Amino acid sequence: GLLSILRKLKSAPDQEVRILLLGLDNAGKTTLLKQLASEDISHITPTQGFNIKSVQSQGFKLNVWDIGGQRKIRPYWRSYFENTDILIYVIDSADRKRFEETGQELTELLEEEKLSCVPVLVFANKQDLLTAAPAAEIAEGLNLHTIRDRVWQIQSCSALTGEGVQDGMNWVCKNVNAKKK
Amino acid sequence: MDALEEESFALSFSSASDAEFDAVVGCLEDIIMDAEFQLLQRSFMDKYYQEFEDTEENKLTYTPIFNEYISLVEKYIEEQLLERIPGFNMAAFTTTLQHHKDEVAGDIFDMLLTFTDFLAFKEMFLDYRAEKEGRGLDLSSGLVVTSLCKSSSTPASQNNLRH
Repeated sequence: GLLSILRKLKSAPDQEVRILLLGLDNAGKTTLLKQLASEDISHITPTQGFNIKSVQSQGFKLNVWDIGGQRKIRPYWRSYFENTDILIYVIDSADRKRFEETGQELTELLEEEKLSCVPVLVFANKQDLLTAAPAAEIAEGLNLHTIRDRVWQIQSCSALTGEGVQDGMNWVCKNVNAKKK
Repeated sequence: MDALEEESFALSFSSASDAEFDAVVGCLEDIIMDAEFQLLQRSFMDKYYQEFEDTEENKLTYTPIFNEYISLVEKYIEEQLLERIPGFNMAAFTTTLQHHKDEVAGDIFDMLLTFTDFLAFKEMFLDYRAEKEGRGLDLSSGLVVTSLCKSSSTPASQNNLRH
């Protein structure tokens, strides 16, 4: 309708970017979101709904949508797919028991029509923990190398300390237009 | 569509339809400013305002309400345009709109776009709820509000002012 057409016309010159932040519960999505917005990360509780923050970065206005990752609310993820420019998928690198589960969720996301061709950044989070698996091992476990229909990247990070987060966001800004063109 | 085709397409939307385009834009302004539209918004908010809470995290239930709001507004605007402009064609208008990209910077389009801004939507509901529950500036009691009482809206201080 009229409003969605207007939005498409406007969003290009403003360089507004819609980023969808997904991943299992306790992966660190909200911590990452608050780290991006330079906010206090000491009192974060499991997300029951969703959070939104706008962050200015390299001339872009990044509108980041963080949706709760608990199993019972994952069916709601699809309500947020529309108009997504970049998908950021967060993984708890120390939660090896759930690598299979997180891989399954990611595979399903990549099969979603509304997310087709959307560049995906995988954050191998919680690298501050000694038991964290390295990014390369996670990439292999998730078969990321078989992704052919979009650009993708895996970035190790610690949302807690902030390490690696900016590197990931630099990749995001570089690949924003990969889909829009 | 190749470049040549697009160009001739654009040409067919020149001067004559420029006036038409301006007329629609003017009409859009009237529709949004109309009391009837405010009424539509208020009755929509009446239905859902109790669902909205002033917390940073958003409830999942806000999203279907937001989507319902966008379609309601969109449908209303289209109906009003059809009613006010004989022979109005939304598909033709949106096509013209794409060729007037640069003029889409006007206030009216900014205003229309705020209808698709989730955070503005949430803010509108929170303001409405505060107003309903007497925590905001209650315009219905505007007659007794003076500059002295603007800083407080507790029932006790309102009573005092009516002395």
